[in-house]
Formats: sequence, C-alpha cells, structure tokens
Amino acid sequence: MDIALFDYGVGNLHSLGKALEEGGATVHVTNDWAEALSRDALVLPGVGAFSAAVEALPEDRSPLHDAMEAGLPTLGICLGMQLLFDSSEEGMGEGIGAIPGRVRRIRATIVPQMGWNVVEHTDDPIFDGIDGLTAYYANSFVCEPDDPAHAIGWSRYEDDRFACVVRNGSVWGAQFHPEKSSTLGRKMISNFLAEVGRRMAEAEGTADPGVSNPAATAETAAPSPEVTP
Amino acid sequence: MTDPRGRGLKSRVIVCLDVKDGRVVKGTNFVGLRDMGDPVELAARYEAEGADEICFLDISASRESRGTLLDMVRRTAEVLFVPLTVGGGVRTVDDIGPLLRAGADKISVNSAAVRDPSVIVEGSRRFGAQCIVASIDAAREGNGWIHYTHGGKTRTDKDAVQWAHELAEKGAGEILLTSIDRDGVRTGYDLELTRAVVDAVDVPVIASGGAGDASHLRDAFTEGHASAALLAGILHDGLTTVGELKSALDGWGIDVR
Repeated sequence: MDIALFDYGVGNLHSLGKALEEGGATVHVTNDWAEALSRDALVLPGVGAFSAAVEALPEDRSPLHDAMEAGLPTLGICLGMQLLFDSSEEGMGEGIGAIPGRVRRIRATIVPQMGWNVVEHTDDPIFDGIDGLTAYYANSFVCEPDDPAHAIGWSRYEDDRFACVVRNGSVWGAQFHPEKSSTLGRKMISNFLAEVGRRMAEAEGTADPGVSNPAATAETAAPSPEVTP
Repeated sequence: MTDPRGRGLKSRVIVCLDVKDGRVVKGTNFVGLRDMGDPVELAARYEAEGADEICFLDISASRESRGTLLDMVRRTAEVLFVPLTVGGGVRTVDDIGPLLRAGADKISVNSAAVRDPSVIVEGSRRFGAQCIVASIDAAREGNGWIHYTHGGKTRTDKDAVQWAHELAEKGAGEILLTSIDRDGVRTGYDLELTRAVVDAVDVPVIASGGAGDASHLRDAFTEGHASAALLAGILHDGLTTVGELKSALDGWGIDVR
C-alpha cells in the first residue's frame, strides 16, 4: 500500500513516517499535490506553522476537495486536520473544504494546549482495539464541524469541549498527534491503514481496478521529487 | 491543587538526557563526564517506562558535533513515539529548521534569545509557537531571581520572572525553568520560583532542577503549579523509575498518564 505523506517543508516527519511504515505502508514523502493525490491514501501531517501549510496548498483547492469527496482515504493530523475545513480564524484563506466547518482559537487561559488529554470517542473503525485513549496535543486552534455527526471524538481543555477527531466519508482528522501518543496513537494509525486496505480491496472487487484506482497508472508518470524519511 | 488553568491535561513527567558527541553523559559541571549509554536506546526505554516526553540537552562544545546531534535525533525519532525536545547550541533561527527536520518536536533556546530575541519571534512565526521552548536558568539573588546563560555560567542583568513573561509574549510556546541553585541538589524544585513564573505567563511551564523523590514532583504540580516536571539524575542513577514516580503521584491524586 502506497501512502503519500505531504511535506510542507518544515517540521518532523520521521515519527509519523515510521509509524506508517510499521503499519505496513510504503511511505512517499512529497510536496507535489499531483503525486499526493495519485497514491492509495494521503496523510497531511501536523507540524509547522499554519501559514506555511496554507501556502503549500495549491491555489485551486478543487482537485484536493474532489479527490477526497470521491473517496481518497485521507488522514489529517493537527494542523493537517485544520486544513481539511473551510476556513480558519487565523485568516489565512480557504482550506480544502473536505469537512464543512471552521477552525477557531481554543478557548482557554493557557495556550497552546500542550500535553496529554483524554479522548472520548465513538466506535468508529479508526478506534478499533483502543480503550482509554490519552493523546498528546500541541495546539492553539481547534475545529468546529458544521455537522455534529462529523465529530467522532472529543476532548475537554479547561472549559472548552471540542471535536478532536472528525470523519466525513473516507476523510479523517485528528487534532492530537497519534504519532506522538505512544502505543495507542500508533494503533490509530494502523487502524487508518486497515481502512485504506479495506477500501482498496472493495474497489478491486467491485470495479475495474484500472478505473477505480488511478494510482495504478500514475506510477508510470514522471516521478515527482521524493524524499525518504 | 494543581493549577486550575490548563485543567484537563495530565501533569507531565519529562526525562532529560545530557548528550555529547552522540552519547548520553553524566557529570557535574561538565567535568568527569561518565558515558551513560546510547541516547536512542535510553529514550525508548524511558518511553516504555511511561515518560511523557524526552528532552535531549546537547552539551557538546563544538559546531562540528552538530552533524552527530542531527543523526542522533533522526535515529531517536524513528523509535520514539512521545514528543522529543532538543536544546543546546541553538544560535540562530536557522539552527531550528534542521533539528525539526531531523525529528525534534520542540526546540529549546536559551543564550541565543538573550543575544537576539528575534530567534523566538521568528522561530515561532516560521515553525509555530508549539515547537519553541524558551529555556530559563535562574539563580536566587536578593528577593528575586536572575537569568543566566551558557549552561548557568554567564550572569545576565535580566530578572528571570520578567524575562519569562517577555519570552512568552514574543512567541515562546512553553517555558523550561531550571533553578541553578537546586540543580543536582535533590532537595526539591524551587517552588517559589516556579509559582512566580507560572503566575507571570500564559503558556505552560516546565519545572526543572532539584528532583530527589516523587514528593518533589508532587509539590512542583500542587504548589508550583507547573504543567510538567523535568528530571534526570535520580532516574539515571537507578534510584527510582518513571513508573514508580507516576504511581506515587497517582496515589496523591495527581492526574498523570
């Protein structure tokens, strides 16, 4: 399974890359959106400043939005999750809009929220085998999905209860850092990969793989710059 | 009571490893350094014991050792699945990027911020406040505390509490506060200093210097209102383990992971 790990140009991708590899994925670190959308799944990491990440988005967000709406399995982490939404209070322009809603400043006296917080969650497959999740956060902003049904996990910091895991179809977002949340965080990453695998198998079973999985043909296209984490 | 501000988060226990030329070392005043082992192995072991974060403090003197440090950070990031802070030898904002790229989650800065505070401002703007840790080494003087640089050897004219406030305003996402008086003494954190800094800033504060047993960590949280307590010596000497410390803290009603 080939996973695109998008690189905004700053920050640590090693732990996330390693967690994905341990889950059985081949990781392709890329800053090329065409390549990113051609893989079996896309991971938007959560490191760096928001402005740097937004600058890395293509001016026309529609190919990203359309690919995700068409079922490209996507996992956005922290700032990568925030990019999935329509807009942000940080005022850096539009996000991808894969999950309707907005990003707002966390309502607390001590900001950033820095440390380990308890996560309540639904029984979504991304939480398979996870009981009593405590996850690592390093954030000043949180996401507010328009549709409460898109929230599948919640944390409370001071008096602010916020959606910390969201899902819309094949797109997941986590406000905390699974790759920094020890054993259970890594389990969440392997659950995401299991979902990717399940979707790939389904696609192969129900349609001509050449059509349902453009990644299969994109492999032969001109190679994009690639860095191994 | 732990600080009601910041409630919801677990009180963190951070393990600090002094590293030099790719090895973990231990010694007093940088003389008679003893090799304590491989940083990658030790970091992973402390995660397994329950450490909430790991901190590498690079005490190598030379610029040449920078490559060794980056390589070590890279190898650690591949086996460590809790946050990693790296400090020591960050001179300009351009030193921050390579460390983050290598696998650090946060970078701690001390002397450079005194020389030129723009390292904090620019670092925070470029990489996000959440990865910029401002490190303060404070020694008691009169009724207050004075900030020191260069591993506690160089006195500045800065009031430590005021300086912490300024650094947080400039964009530091966290304050690593070390009491020079208590460092290595094992009689407990400087609670008065910790509380003074916590009350002066609106970012998390890590208490450091003086941990001798679990009750010292408890006091750092309940009296000092620290978000995290950092320790090194008593773990490296095998006097206790992170697991033992955390179960003692849990017994006292401190919310730990």
